Amino acid sequence: MKQLKFRTIFISFFTLCLCFGMVFLLGSYVVDGDYWAAHRSAGSVTKGTITDRNGQLLYDFSNGSYSDDYEIRVSTVHAVGDKVGSIANSAKSKLVGSQSSFNIITGISSKDTSLQLTLDANLNARALELLDGRKGVISLYNYKTGDILCMLSAPCFDPTDSEVIKAINEGSEKYQGAYVNRFFSSTYTPGSTFKVVTTAAALETMKHVEEFSFSCDSDLSYGDDSVTCPSTHGTVDLWEALGKSCNGAFATLANEIGGKTVEEYAKKAGLLSPMEVNGIKTAAGSFTVSKSAIEEGWSGVGQYKNLVNPCSEMTLMGCIAMDGTAASPSLIPTTKKTMKQASIDWKPSTCETVREMMRNNVVNHYGQSKFGELPVCAKSGTAEVGSDSPHAWFVGFVDSEEYPYAFVVMVEHGGWGSSTAGGIAAELLRAACE
Amino acid sequence: MLETLNHTYQGFSETMSAGFQTILQFFSTHTILSGFLTLVLNGACHFLLPFLALLVIVRCGRSLFQSNLEPECWGNLVLSNGNRLPLTHWENLIGRSRLADVQMLFPSVSRSHAAMIRDSKGKWTLYPLNSKNGVTVNGSTVTEAVPLKPRDIISFGGIATCFLPSTPEEERQQAARRVRPGKNFSPSVTLLVLTLFQLLLSIELMTVSAAEHLQNILVAFGILIIIMWALYFIYRIFRRTSYELETLAFFLTTLCLTITARTSPSGLKKQTFCVIVGIVLFFGLTLFLRHPEFVRKARWPMAAGSVLLLGLNLLLAAVHFGAKNWLSIGGISFQPSEFVKIVFILVGAVTLDKMFDKRNLIVTLLYSAFCVGCLGLMSDFGTALIFFVTFLAITFLRSGDLASVLFMFAAAVFAGYIVLQFKSYILARFAVYRHVWDDPSNLGYQQTRTLSAIANGGLFGKGLGNGWLHKVGASNTDLVFGVISEELGLIIAVLGVVVILMMAVFAVQEASAARSSFSVITACSAAMIFVVQTMLNVFGSTDLLPLTGVTLPFVSVGGSSMMSCWALLAFLKASDTRQNAALAVKLPQKKAKDNAETDPESWTEKTGFLYRPQQVEQNSDGLPQLHAKLTEQQSVPVPVPADEPEAPEDFPEVPVSQEPPADAPVSDADNWQDFFLKPEEWEKK
Repeated sequence: MKQLKFRTIFISFFTLCLCFGMVFLLGSYVVDGDYWAAHRSAGSVTKGTITDRNGQLLYDFSNGSYSDDYEIRVSTVHAVGDKVGSIANSAKSKLVGSQSSFNIITGISSKDTSLQLTLDANLNARALELLDGRKGVISLYNYKTGDILCMLSAPCFDPTDSEVIKAINEGSEKYQGAYVNRFFSSTYTPGSTFKVVTTAAALETMKHVEEFSFSCDSDLSYGDDSVTCPSTHGTVDLWEALGKSCNGAFATLANEIGGKTVEEYAKKAGLLSPMEVNGIKTAAGSFTVSKSAIEEGWSGVGQYKNLVNPCSEMTLMGCIAMDGTAASPSLIPTTKKTMKQASIDWKPSTCETVREMMRNNVVNHYGQSKFGELPVCAKSGTAEVGSDSPHAWFVGFVDSEEYPYAFVVMVEHGGWGSSTAGGIAAELLRAACE
Repeated sequence: MLETLNHTYQGFSETMSAGFQTILQFFSTHTILSGFLTLVLNGACHFLLPFLALLVIVRCGRSLFQSNLEPECWGNLVLSNGNRLPLTHWENLIGRSRLADVQMLFPSVSRSHAAMIRDSKGKWTLYPLNSKNGVTVNGSTVTEAVPLKPRDIISFGGIATCFLPSTPEEERQQAARRVRPGKNFSPSVTLLVLTLFQLLLSIELMTVSAAEHLQNILVAFGILIIIMWALYFIYRIFRRTSYELETLAFFLTTLCLTITARTSPSGLKKQTFCVIVGIVLFFGLTLFLRHPEFVRKARWPMAAGSVLLLGLNLLLAAVHFGAKNWLSIGGISFQPSEFVKIVFILVGAVTLDKMFDKRNLIVTLLYSAFCVGCLGLMSDFGTALIFFVTFLAITFLRSGDLASVLFMFAAAVFAGYIVLQFKSYILARFAVYRHVWDDPSNLGYQQTRTLSAIANGGLFGKGLGNGWLHKVGASNTDLVFGVISEELGLIIAVLGVVVILMMAVFAVQEASAARSSFSVITACSAAMIFVVQTMLNVFGSTDLLPLTGVTLPFVSVGGSSMMSCWALLAFLKASDTRQNAALAVKLPQKKAKDNAETDPESWTEKTGFLYRPQQVEQNSDGLPQLHAKLTEQQSVPVPVPADEPEAPEDFPEVPVSQEPPADAPVSDADNWQDFFLKPEEWEKK
């Protein structure tokens, strides 16, 4: 029996495991309890509402109902969240918890969980209309306050329509990736919008950059292969190269300053690391340095293996507008105290020059008439992705005290950047500045 | 039969709720008053509950663990110098080993020399084990089990001892002088506190429940309180004064009924019924365990039955494609595995003599392999894991062979790895393990919700009806820890786990005073099942372990689980050898025929052994008590020369152990051993 008593050490061992496990659990509760509280799901909230910046109802927790307006419901679904929480980074699933306070003794204090977003529901609905059923991303934010006024990721869907949800869950082509908020979680080939980065790199690292000139005959040969332009641009300097978006000129620039330098400036621009927006981590872009000259050339043009995230791209635009340091985008209204800053590691003078060059793009190449009186600075992009028609990009900002807006428009397989995406951007700005 | 039960239930509940209806009517006419009362009551309940729970658990814990373990003495082996080696269990290992119950430090004695086993009727049997120098009884060598008579001369490797079992009179006296549990912490007071806890909980529950469920809640808690007190009074009738384990189990059962009423009020009737059946099972099994010899015989047909049951389950599961771990007979569905647990433990447990028999272990191994295999094929991996770990515990208890246990563990890990390759959904559970926050809406759904719910509740909980975790699937079984944390607070949830810990510590503690290996193995295995289930459940839902979906003992909602937990508690209770503690342990008979104690003169004439009485000292109550440090007495520090072990003239020279023979304190309260002569008196004669 003594022998048996000794062998009960086996049971004692497991009992100790249970004991230590409980101690560990209680320790985690003390240490991580606030994290558990902050990341609680929408299901845990039984009162309060989610509204847009103008107080328009987007979601009511007490009865689980959405806005009555179909367009608003659809266009804000990624911001608000669907019924069951399939959209991970939504206000319902992420932001609600961040509003509540946690205390070890009393747990989560049950104050009103009403949440006002910075979004303008009507602007979102307008963006949905502009995208016209295509897939893509449209977003606009105030680079001085950080308020995201418009955030649309398409395909989006009506969260109250069970037929549509069934189609999504069955993998319908029309709703492919509908649960993903592309603005935060996707990366795309940037195409010519990346030339802004190459330009900045050239401005800061190349001697006699003012004297740069390139003669474009639509085909820059690298042995068997070549970097091509859609048309012959003739002899261009840096300003004209950006305005005409001359691939040959930028490939030459990339070769001259080197892939490593371009990568460094992409990193400095914040394009290669994830951002954090109200606790939501965005996808990080990527840049691959190639030893092959032609691949290095293409990477300076924004093709090759380059990828950027729309949210990071939009923030970059804000930073260029603000000489390097702008407000970081936020879905929740901020005060001066709570506002976070985003910054890029470019010289203010570089930002100023790039700003002027982007303004030159609009005035001399895209056409100011589209934008009315607004002093818009922008860069278009047409990103080749395989054999399908290219992604259309249009990124930029309004260089004005009254309307400090930076924007990103990206239409998947939308065709020409300046015509497709530029058109949408113009309409969006018109609606935003009304 | 179900209908009759239903009728009885209806009648009972109508009577009970008649009074309640009048109260309700009063309140419905005085809404302001009722609103105020609700507020005050809820507030009071909210903060009083953890303290009441703590009080119940502290009282039970102190009663269980504070008193020193009093060993029992069932007889002695008397050495030639008159020193007595007490037999403190029903099963005693005799040998040189440090872990022998009767340690004989003689070179000629093997480490495990022999076993001496007493049956429930007081008959002793000697089992020679594979010793080098053999065992003789009254001079003749024995190789097989032999029954022993009082005053038999047993010689272990040449060391002669006289076997002197306790007489029924001595046993009675021993029983009379041992301290009864419940003396310092009255179980009825603890039970009153628990009743208050239950009443407050039911009031809080009724203020937040829908009107149609009020009657059911009232009836369920009424039945629970009645059955709790009824069992207590039955114990009193049988002169049993220990009620700690039952009180603790009733505490957990109360939590279960509360969770049932909150999460699936329509199932409350069924759950209450299962609690009743569980307690009846507990009581029945307790009575069954009073007859250990019968239990050992009856377990083989039970094992056959369980094999059939599992086989049938497996067959039906195969027909139903995939996981199906329940059977439905006559409209009642149940989980066979929950009941097989009980038989599993019975089959695994053995008496001391069988522990040295490897053949016996193989039967257990095959049976265990069958059970675990069936559960694995049914895709009930959580339960299979519980069975396997329990099997490891039983194997280690029986063989003490850590190497083979580790080997089997390694083999199981390997087998588990193979299984994982084919069952991708389990692999997915492992993939998210410790990373639940990376995938909170899919694979980490339940765990993240549970953690947030714990954070929501804080230490005191948000109050019944103010949680949301119950909306998540399987909340009242797999995630029950979170639901309790959220609504009743982390304190009560942790106390629930503490109760399980106390049960396990109790089972381990009782092992040193237990009478037989059988009761130790059954109690420890039952404790093991409780502990492992608690770990898998609580840590699974909080992402300290992968989520396996097993029930929390006594607390998770489910009929089969509730019944089997109460049945397993019977094993724990049966190992309680404190005086008048367990119904499964028979009290000494009041009017037993007493064979007069050995007359010292004839004793010495017959055996040539010196006579020395049992050491008795007084405890704080002035009652004689067996020497508290039995262990010191057991070892004989100076060996008798092996070549002349039995020479009676040697005994004066043998240095006597530390104990002072002359002035051994003798009780004044009882004259029971005045009958004996003191050694020096004997020498004078």
